[in-house]
Amino acid sequence: MTDTAAPTPAAPAASAAGNMRPPSRWSLAGREIGRAVVALLVALVATLIIIFFVSKSPVEALGTLLTAPFSKVRTIGTWADEAAKLTVTGLAFGLVFQARQFALGVQGQVYLGALAATYVALSPIGSTPLGMPIAVLAAMVVGGIYGFLPGIAKAKLGANEIVSTLMLNYIAIEIVNYVILHGMAKAGLNYTDNFPATSMLPVLVDRTRIDLGLVFAIVAVLATWFALYRTSWGLKLRLVGHNPRFAEYAGIRSNVIMVSAMTVSGALGGLLGSMLVQGQAFGKLQVLFEGGFAFEGVLVAIVARNRPLAVPIVAMFYAYLRQGAQLMNIRTDVPAEVISVVAALIILLVASQFGLPAWIKRGVMRNRAGATR
Amino acid sequence: MAFIEAKGIGRVYPGGVVANDGVNLSVEKGEVHAVVGENGAGKSTLMKILFGIERPDAGTLTLDGQELHFSGPRDAIDAGIGMVFQHFSLVPSFSVYENVVLGSEPHASIKFDRKQAIERVAELSQRFRLNVDPLPPVRTLPVGQQQRVEILKALYRDARVLILDEPTAVLAPQEVAELFIAIRSLIEQGRTVIFIAHKLPEVLEISDTITVMRQGRSVGVVKARDVTEHELATLMVGREVALRVDRAPNTTGAEVCTVDNLHIVNARGHDVCRDLSLSVRSGEILGLVGVEGNGQAEVIEAIAGVRSVAGGAIRVDSTEIGTLSVLQRRGLGIASIPEDRIAEGLATGATVAENIVATRLTDSRYVRGGLLDLKSIRANAEKLIERFSVRVNGPAVPVGTLSGGNMQKVVVARELSEQPKLLLVSQPTRGVDLGATQFIWKTIASARDAGAAVLLSSADLGELLALSDRLLVFYRGKIVAAFRNRDDISPETLGTYMLGLKTQTADEMKAGLA
Repeated sequence: MTDTAAPTPAAPAASAAGNMRPPSRWSLAGREIGRAVVALLVALVATLIIIFFVSKSPVEALGTLLTAPFSKVRTIGTWADEAAKLTVTGLAFGLVFQARQFALGVQGQVYLGALAATYVALSPIGSTPLGMPIAVLAAMVVGGIYGFLPGIAKAKLGANEIVSTLMLNYIAIEIVNYVILHGMAKAGLNYTDNFPATSMLPVLVDRTRIDLGLVFAIVAVLATWFALYRTSWGLKLRLVGHNPRFAEYAGIRSNVIMVSAMTVSGALGGLLGSMLVQGQAFGKLQVLFEGGFAFEGVLVAIVARNRPLAVPIVAMFYAYLRQGAQLMNIRTDVPAEVISVVAALIILLVASQFGLPAWIKRGVMRNRAGATR
Repeated sequence: MAFIEAKGIGRVYPGGVVANDGVNLSVEKGEVHAVVGENGAGKSTLMKILFGIERPDAGTLTLDGQELHFSGPRDAIDAGIGMVFQHFSLVPSFSVYENVVLGSEPHASIKFDRKQAIERVAELSQRFRLNVDPLPPVRTLPVGQQQRVEILKALYRDARVLILDEPTAVLAPQEVAELFIAIRSLIEQGRTVIFIAHKLPEVLEISDTITVMRQGRSVGVVKARDVTEHELATLMVGREVALRVDRAPNTTGAEVCTVDNLHIVNARGHDVCRDLSLSVRSGEILGLVGVEGNGQAEVIEAIAGVRSVAGGAIRVDSTEIGTLSVLQRRGLGIASIPEDRIAEGLATGATVAENIVATRLTDSRYVRGGLLDLKSIRANAEKLIERFSVRVNGPAVPVGTLSGGNMQKVVVARELSEQPKLLLVSQPTRGVDLGATQFIWKTIASARDAGAAVLLSSADLGELLALSDRLLVFYRGKIVAAFRNRDDISPETLGTYMLGLKTQTADEMKAGLA
């Protein structure tokens, strides 16, 4: 066979493509969105069933869950405020997840970031016009340092980031508790003095909780997107996340990328801390003020597939459900814990990459296979 | 009606890739039936359908006249079909017999009856001439024996039909011969074997009937005795092919890379190689021959900078590179095509353009002030896609959706887009179709003609013999033979050294290189 003259080895590029055209980016995005929406619907149906079991007036309860957040300007404001905060924690988690680091330290960064913001706000600087921005920056720096620690521990010592970040969360919570109860708060109280107005995030819409934090969240979304998709750091980060061995082969120092990703994510965590305590909702530092809120970012990031531009959309949906559940808790006989069921179901459905039942898919495929022939 | 009859099999993957499009396969009882085709022709999908891993969207499947509807491999096993995958699914720390019976253990009341298990395995291995000791842990066995354990696993479950997916890819020539003896004894005892392969001489040697697949369809059924290798290759590719590389006469230049007394230790603390020395000159391809796991791959990784070295020196153009980072080494003109494109050579979830630019993130053409120049990254990717004829719908497609050959072309395009000084190549055409193989060979040869020093390691002796100027045979981390590549060197000659049956003396080695 070796005596045959070789024709050009490369067949025309089109011949293989033919009818085997890979799906476009939009159809892939459409499928992802479809999946998320189906997950939401399934979770809502489950909620409905639970509500019918636990409530004496299920229709009213369900109505409250689905419509209450948009019933008043004030509730719309609360929804928007919560969506902004969920966005920031979702971004923080999404960023480390994209680098394939399962760092869960946002909670600790929130606490220490909030503590730093509080120190600035209650210091003499807090009463000057520079109080607000300096407090925000201080929170981000401290959050960044608290994200850097587990990163460097992993790079130098091989410390598992899941364990170290969870432990650091407890340390941060207890430090904040201690500082509040032994010094910052007046005896008998578990919260500090109110911040001066110059250290608060200014209100954007009167008589709502919508404040400058909303703008911070939008800026954070754009900045994270830009960093991930338009800078070489972001490309390296994503390559490390896709395949760390390949990254090493290509000459990317994956440890540097990992530590810096965790640091930047930490700064976002610190920002969230400052948004919480400097925002209109609090305006002071309180024991356990965060109440596990930071971890909701895991859900947001997973459902958004860690995409910065998808994070705010998911956050808005989820904030709506959370608000609806809160109001249902207040106005009807169904407890807010129902929403935990919804959240758990959504995570389960999205994380397991569930698909449509086989018999539906088979029907669809049959049509499509016919069309390609 | 044939023993196994697949008619009009169609399978469209959720991504819209049409993997099988009206495939017919008809296998007679007691024959070796080969299924050949380029990568992406749909062989693997067809086999996964036969073994119940994939469900067909169209078509029917019958075994012995009965229609089959598998909902999983368990059903296929119950129907008497067994499959040995390219990548084995064995528990390394379990013994041979434990691996064989795992999941269907013989019981004495509720206790695992080890004695009976050992007896059954010994009996099976004797009956089918699959020599393997039932007692040692699987991880201590060479690859060829591990494969036998896989085959025994299927036979233990009474497989009447055995599907072997590229069984010879990981074997030395002698081991291939032994595998073929076992296959023949299976046939003698009335079993049926479906054999998937790339290497046509082997297919012609072992099989009775051959089904050829191309682009998701079955394009021909031939009797092995009625067809030549060349005819078969033409049928597979759909056009004339020649597996040969034309190279300029060897104009060997200065030494580019020298390795002195290299010592490499693996993660478990064992020596991979010790006191290993070699050198490669500009304008030559140095082939590293050896059964996988004898140190060739590790030496190449050490030069590339992705494996740490316990001792010795590596020099490129008299610069000691032992302490340099991967990026610094690349800066010296080292390019590297790694052994496993999916594990190390690519980020399959990232796009073609991102994969191509990944090694050039300090190059001011693509990155300025930390910002990506998306336009020039895209333009560069488009240019390379064209030049290396990668079949892809554009630079923004994720690499993981391409066929094996096209993925490999992306790696080759990235590494050879600029002429390297030293090119490190491991398994450049593993699992790559004929057309792409020929293209990749040509590309490597022309890099050498343009003055690159090339270190080539491959499990495919045909590839080493086709490309190399010199050959070094590795056995247990030592160089046991050296040859200047001439027409009279056969795979069998290399094989005796690869298996450690013979070692050259120092004088022979010198003579071999003269």
